Amino acid sequence: MIGMTGMTAAAPWTEVWGARELLRSLAVRNLKVKYQRSTLGFAWTLINPLLTLTVLAAVFTHVVKIAVPHYWAFLLSGYFVWNYLLQMISTATYVLAEHAGLRRSVAFPSEVLVLSAAASRLAEFAVEMALVVAALAVCHHSGVPASFSLLPLLVLLLILLSLGLVLPLAVLAAFYNDVQHAVPILLMMLFYASPVFYPVRLVPEAVRRLYFLNPIAGLLTLYHQVLYEGRFPPPALLGGVAAASVLLFLIGYAIFNRYKTVLAEIL
Amino acid sequence: MLCRGVVKRFFRYEHRTSSLREVFIRAVLRRPIHVRRAEFILDGFDLRVDPGEGVALIGSNGSGKSTALRLIAGIYVPTEGVVETHGRVTAVIELGAGFQTELTGLENVSLYAAVLGFKRRELAERLPDILAFAELGDFIHEPVKYYSSGMQARLAFSVAVCVRPDVLLIDEVLAVGDQAFRQRCLERLREFRRQGGALVVVSHDLENVRELCSRALWLERGRVRMEGTAEEVTAAYERENG
Repeated sequence: MIGMTGMTAAAPWTEVWGARELLRSLAVRNLKVKYQRSTLGFAWTLINPLLTLTVLAAVFTHVVKIAVPHYWAFLLSGYFVWNYLLQMISTATYVLAEHAGLRRSVAFPSEVLVLSAAASRLAEFAVEMALVVAALAVCHHSGVPASFSLLPLLVLLLILLSLGLVLPLAVLAAFYNDVQHAVPILLMMLFYASPVFYPVRLVPEAVRRLYFLNPIAGLLTLYHQVLYEGRFPPPALLGGVAAASVLLFLIGYAIFNRYKTVLAEIL
Repeated sequence: MLCRGVVKRFFRYEHRTSSLREVFIRAVLRRPIHVRRAEFILDGFDLRVDPGEGVALIGSNGSGKSTALRLIAGIYVPTEGVVETHGRVTAVIELGAGFQTELTGLENVSLYAAVLGFKRRELAERLPDILAFAELGDFIHEPVKYYSSGMQARLAFSVAVCVRPDVLLIDEVLAVGDQAFRQRCLERLREFRRQGGALVVVSHDLENVRELCSRALWLERGRVRMEGTAEEVTAAYERENG
């Protein structure tokens, strides 16, 4: 209930639960605005990642030859995960500004804006993953490996990890207007620092500890093992990524909550 | 609805660093990142509005009226003090600010209802009333970006009133609509009070204030200058401001 005793009294998750109807409406609105004027609909959003995938596949099988059998299958198993993170991180830089009017005229927990963006993106991601899983099962594994059963858990980790990055970034972007210019550069660096188009085993042993400080690297490796290699990941890796994702989420959400009361006051 | 000893402090910035690059440079030069001083937009604000009561906030621009409404609405969090509201609070504060201009009027209505925590079924019950009151006709199916400011005001007001809130906050929006719509609004607001709603109005139209409200508060630079019946306070305000 809005304004029951002001916004400070309730715990954040009770607030979000109270605003679930808003969350649903905003997520639907995001999809509506996006697909309103495109007859191709969902196929249209697939064109961009598919083109990138084609280019990557062509370059790394024919020009720079990366020794990975069924390289296209390897790419598919991680690329959409990367794409999800990329889009969520970009969204973080403008989502609060986009709804400045709403935030100034009604009281609601502002993380709902971030969560609804995540929800609508997740709906698209679900369809993408369904296609990826089907393609890998039919053309790569000729069957459904048991490891695929871990996919829901991996998606959960992706959600937690991305929110952990996106929530504090959204606050930072609300305070500092050059964040939106810095983010594309950081994303480009992150693209090379994460195993999107190459497998982790090509990373020199010596720097691998450092390399895995990037939580996205661990997460993508899990997707590669589960979807591409069709095997269960080592518990240490799974546990490590899970712990990192939960921790990032909790810290990110705490940062967001620390600053969210002043968000309505800045434009 | 109750405000007790509410203080709202804002910072006025002589220099506000708005880019990370500058934060970095200032950190290296050991210069302060922000140069600011505290300013009390509201200081020691007390207000109690019971069901069925109407209270007006009057005062010159910048006296803290709109800030008070935002505090009651829960959009701002008080620096000190308590704001307590019981039941559903709706507010028409900044004209059209809450609208998603890409969406149609009808879609905006359901989005706004969702912000208020309405279930879809609850909204369906109230929708005919909202549409009838807004009198937008087929325009309700057009994106809000094509609306005139009067039409936006009608839609915002209709939704805020017709969802039957317990506390209704209105900021100067009656000024926008045409004469006929204004009359209907006034009637509707009186009816709202009769049915036990608590009304808080910010207005420069003292005629409206006297018509709608039993009590009034005169705010000056964040403090309550005078409190009393709407007649007393508006008369005193008029004496001083000609």
